[in-house]
This record gives sequence, structure tokens and C-alpha cells, in this order.
Amino acid sequence: MISLRANRRDVAAGARAMVPWLAGIVPFGLVIGVSAARADVPALAGWLTGPLIYAGSSQLATIGMLSAGAAPMAVVAVALVINVRLIFYSATMARHWRGTPWWWRLAAGYLLVDPSVAVGLDGYRRLGRGRGHAHYLGGAVLLWVCWLAAIGAGLTAGAGLPAWLHLEFVIPLYLVGQAIAKLADPAPRRAIFAAAAAALLALSAPLQLGIALAMAAGIAAGLTARPAGSAQSIHPLQPSTEVPR
Amino acid sequence: MNAWTVILAAGLGSYLFRLSMIVLFDRITMPARLQRATELVAPAAFAAMAAAGIATTCMSLGAARAAAPLAAVAVAVIAVLRTGSPQAAILAGMPALWVATALLPT
Repeated sequence: MISLRANRRDVAAGARAMVPWLAGIVPFGLVIGVSAARADVPALAGWLTGPLIYAGSSQLATIGMLSAGAAPMAVVAVALVINVRLIFYSATMARHWRGTPWWWRLAAGYLLVDPSVAVGLDGYRRLGRGRGHAHYLGGAVLLWVCWLAAIGAGLTAGAGLPAWLHLEFVIPLYLVGQAIAKLADPAPRRAIFAAAAAALLALSAPLQLGIALAMAAGIAAGLTARPAGSAQSIHPLQPSTEVPR
Repeated sequence: MNAWTVILAAGLGSYLFRLSMIVLFDRITMPARLQRATELVAPAAFAAMAAAGIATTCMSLGAARAAAPLAAVAVAVIAVLRTGSPQAAILAGMPALWVATALLPT
């Protein structure tokens, strides 16, 4: 049963949980907007990568390759290869959305991206399925709105931002924070170290396949760790000592 | 195929990726091992993207100026370990990056 009206507090809590992510996401959106403004593609087409592709790295690659005059099929292929991780995220959320109405899966699936998965899983872990849906939607919709607004702001005014701010470095730092804070559990720890090492080794892999390869290596390494007792974690970003639902 | 259709095709493909397992696993039960694997997706993805992003930034700056982002990462790691808060990485790391960049010879 999905009742967002009855769970307004959970929608608001999901939105609040998304706020820390916005510190890293909004500058990234600005960077994409600036890239689109400087690229040799129509400004509206650059902005449309936001609502249509809705994944930063893939958007940047699409805009950059279109601007460089790459072959259209190559651009589509690269954009999709970068987004292969979305299949993993889809699998991660599938069990929480099993049996939900089609309209929910079509809408919630559209909003799937790294921060919405993290915030959503936290909600399902703490609140259970029904209230977790509201928590997910609150965070995911706020992210979507801010992302599109940031790209638009970058398109119109972002070129004036001083280069010394190095806003492009906010995202790696945020990811470092997420990874370091989750080293307590053996399985995520192995996954984190293996994925980081593999990413460095695969840095020169073509079509930005390195990230997907590194993720596969990290997951494989994490699976070699023994599950933490009988309590199974449903949250990949939290220690597995809490019983779901 | 112009820019508009390229973006539309990439967007449609990305949406199908997002829906793929949601639709598939509604019909079948996810094996336990695959369930464990899905729990590791986010840590693996974040670590891989962080490592690649830092390495790319360092390589673009060259050996001499790569010290600034590396110092920022070191400060961020220490801040997170001391506070236990992931947000400390940005709050401590970005000022460290600005200071280190300013101190390094151009």
C-alpha cells in the first residue's frame, strides 16, 4: 500500500536526508550546465540530458562527445556503458518494490540514481516498506528538482564561477566520505578497497568501462567476506548488525 | 541522428536500465547470493568513482600540483575517521584543497 498523503512526515524526512548529498550534487550540476553552455550543442539539448539521462557522468560524456563531433551511435553506446551501474541499482531496489503498482515502479525507477538509492535504502532499513516508499520519494524528488535547477543555473550563470573553487572536486571528496564511513563491516570494507584498487588499475580502460569493472571486482571481493551473523543488512551503506523491518 | 535523437536514445536506454531488474525480480525470487551482492553495489560504486575521480584530477594537474588534491583527500579521510560523519569530507577537504592550491608554486 502506497499512501504518500498519510506519510507526509516520512516524505519530509526523506527530503531532509537528501540535503547533505545536495552539497556535492548541486556543484556537479552547475559544472554540467557550464559544460553544456560551452559545448557545441543547443543549450536546451544540453539541459535535456538532465531529465532524460539523469546521471551526471553519462550526461557529461554525452555533451562532451556531441560537442567533439563523435559518431552518434558511439555517443549513445558510451552513455549507456557508463550507466550500466543503474542495472545494479535496479536490482538493489527490486525487492523493496516487489508487488507495488506499475505506476509506482515506473515513476520510482525513473528517479533511481546514486543518491536516491542511498537515501531510499536508509529509509527502507529504518522505516520498513510502506513508510520507506514515502522516504524514498521525498529524497528522490528533491534531488531531481535541485539537479535540473543546478544544470539550468550552470547554463545561464555558471560560467562566472571562479575556477579556483575547484567545484569539480566536491564529488570525489563526498564519495571518499561515504566510503571511509562504511569501513566498519568486513564485506563493504573488502568491496571498497578492491573497487578502489581496480578503478586505478582500469583507469585507461576504453569507454569509461573502468568504473563498471571496478564495481564488479569490489562486489566479488565483498562476497568473499563471511556474512555478519544471522542479521542481514539490507543497506549497503550501513553495518549489517540491524535486522530489517 | 542529431544531438536531440542521441540524447533521447541515451535517455531511453538509461530508463530501461533502471526498470530492468525491478521488472525482472517481480517475477522471480532473487537468490540469496545475488541479494548479498546488491548490498555491496553502493560501497563498490562509491569507492570506484572516488578513486577514478581523484586519479583523473591528479593526472590532469601534473606531478607537482597533484599534491593539493592529495592533501585534500588526506585531510578529508582524517576528518571522517575522527568525526564519523561522511559530510566532514567536504567540509574539511575543500578548504584544505584551496589552501594547498594557494601554497603550491604555480
